[in-house]
Amino acid sequence: MHDATHAVRRRRDLIVAAVFVALAACVPLFVKDVYAQNIMVLTLMYAGLSQSWNILGGYCGQISLGHALYFGLGAYVTAILLTKFGVLPWFGMLAGGIVSALIALALGYPTFRLGGHYFAIATIVIAEIAFLLFLNWDWAGAALGIDIMVREDSWAKFQFTRSKLPYFYFALFFAAVAWLVTWWLENSKWGYWWRAVKDNPDAAESLGVVVFKSKMGAGAISAFLTAIGGAFYAMFVSYIDPDAVMSFQFSLLISLPAVLGGIGTLWGPVLGAAVLIPVTELTRSFIGGSGRGVDLIVYGSLIVLVSLTRPDGLLGLFSRKRKVEAAR
Amino acid sequence: MMALLETRGVWQRFGGLIANADVSISVGRGEIVGLIGPNGAGKSTLFNLIAGVRPPTQGTIWLDGVDITATPATERCRRGIARTFQVVKSFETMTVIDNVIVGALIRTTEMRAARRKAFEVLEFCGLAGRADVMASELIPSEKRRLEVARALATEPKLLLLDEVLTGLTPLEAQTGVELVRRVRDTGVTVLMVEHVMEIVMPLVDRAIVLDLGKVLVEGKPTDVVRDPKVIAAYLGDRHAVGA
Repeated sequence: MHDATHAVRRRRDLIVAAVFVALAACVPLFVKDVYAQNIMVLTLMYAGLSQSWNILGGYCGQISLGHALYFGLGAYVTAILLTKFGVLPWFGMLAGGIVSALIALALGYPTFRLGGHYFAIATIVIAEIAFLLFLNWDWAGAALGIDIMVREDSWAKFQFTRSKLPYFYFALFFAAVAWLVTWWLENSKWGYWWRAVKDNPDAAESLGVVVFKSKMGAGAISAFLTAIGGAFYAMFVSYIDPDAVMSFQFSLLISLPAVLGGIGTLWGPVLGAAVLIPVTELTRSFIGGSGRGVDLIVYGSLIVLVSLTRPDGLLGLFSRKRKVEAAR
Repeated sequence: MMALLETRGVWQRFGGLIANADVSISVGRGEIVGLIGPNGAGKSTLFNLIAGVRPPTQGTIWLDGVDITATPATERCRRGIARTFQVVKSFETMTVIDNVIVGALIRTTEMRAARRKAFEVLEFCGLAGRADVMASELIPSEKRRLEVARALATEPKLLLLDEVLTGLTPLEAQTGVELVRRVRDTGVTVLMVEHVMEIVMPLVDRAIVLDLGKVLVEGKPTDVVRDPKVIAAYLGDRHAVGA
C-alpha cells in the first residue's frame, strides 16, 4: 500500500513535468517578440544549469560556488573544437561534458575531503584560477576570446542567423533532460546516498554509504550537465571570452535559482529560475545602462528575503500542505 | 564454538590518556551482551572501535573469525555490524521511511525491494504509522527507534546499541527492552552499552563491566550486580566494604 502512494507521487511529478514541457513548447507560437524569447531561452537554460548544480549542491550538500568553471569548460571545449578543428558542436558539447566531468573528479579528489564552508571556498578559488588561466592562454584566445562565425542556418552546426526558436527548443530540451536525470536519480541508490551524506555523513557511513564515492559521483554528473549548458550558451551567443562564460557571476547565477526555489528539491531550480531570471533580465533592461550591478542587487535582496522568511525556498510554501497530508 | 565478535588485547590511547587498556571480550551468536560501567570507563571508546570509527592503537578485532581491525566502518556494515548513535543522528531532511531505505540499500539496489524492506522494519519497530513524517518531527523516543530501525535495515549479524534506553520514560524503556528482545529472537546478536544498570540487567544474558579502561568483571547479570568490585566502581569503596 505504501509502495503504491510513493509510485503515484513520482508518476504525478512526471506527468506535471510533461505538461509543463508541452505548454512551454507552445509559448513561442504566441510570443513572437525576440527580446521576450531571449529571456525565455535564458530562463530555461538557467533552470537546467541550476538543476545540474542542485545534484551536487542540493542533494549531496556540497555547496559549489565554482560551477562557472564547468560552464566555461563546456563553452570553451565546444568553441575550440569547432573553430580550430571543425568538430560539430554536438560532439563538442559531449566532449565538453566529459572533460568537465573528468576535471570535477580530479578536483573532487582533494576537495571532497574538506568540510562545510571550506569546500565552498575551495571551489571559488579553483574557478578563479581557471578564469585567470583562460584569460592568459593565447591559444584559447586569451582575453580576446573566441568568435564563432555564424554564416548559415544549420542544425548540424547548431547555428541560426534569424530565428531564436531553435535555441529555445534546445534550451527546453536541456532543462527537461536535467530535470529528468534528477527525477530518476532521486529515487535511486545514489539519490538516497547523497541525501544521507548531506544530512549526516557519520550516520551515512555507519549504514554502508561510501561517502567519498558518492560525492565524486554527484560532482561528475553535475559537472557534465553544467558543461552541456555552457556549450549551448557558447553557440547561443556565438562569442565567448573568460568574462562571458567563466566569471564568478555565473557561479552565482547557476546556484541561486536552486537556493531560491528550494535547495535539494526536484522543482526548486525550475521555480527559482522562472522567478529569478526574468526579474534580473527585466531590471537589467529597465534600470540598467548605467552598468552591471543593479540586477545583482535585486537578486541579492531576493535571496535575503527568501532565506529570512522561507529558509526551505519558495517550494516551502507548497510542501507545508504536503506535510499535513502526510501526517493524516 | 567460535565467537561472533572478539576483541583481543585492544588498547586505545588518546595522547597521554588511556581509554582502553588490554580489553579482550567476546560476544557469542544470539547473545544479548551488556557493556556497562561508570562514566568514563571507556565503554563508548570500545564501542566505536568495534563499529570501526577508528582503528585501535594496539590489538585486533575479529568478526566471525575474520580480522576486521583495519576494515573501515562502511565495510564493517557490509560484513554485518550495524550501530546506533548515543546522540541520535537521524537524516533530518528525509522522511522516516527514507531514513530506513538508506540502510536497506546496502543489501539491494532495487528501490522497490529496499522500500518494502524498510517498511517491514518500520512495522517491526512500531514506526510504520510515522513512515511519511519528516525525521525532524519525531519525538525523542521515536528517534531512538528510528536509529534501531535504520540499523536493522542493513540486516546485521551484530547490532551495536549505544545507550538506546537511556533517558526514556519507564514505559518507553519497557517498549525498548521488548524491541531488543524481539531483535534477538530474529537471530541478531546484540551488544549494548548502557550505564543505567536497572534497565539492562534484566535484559542481558551476560554483562561486561568496564572500569578505568579495563574489563573489571564479566558474567551473569545477577552475579555482576553483587560483585563488590562492581559496587566499588559505581559507588566508591566505602559501599563495597559493607557488601
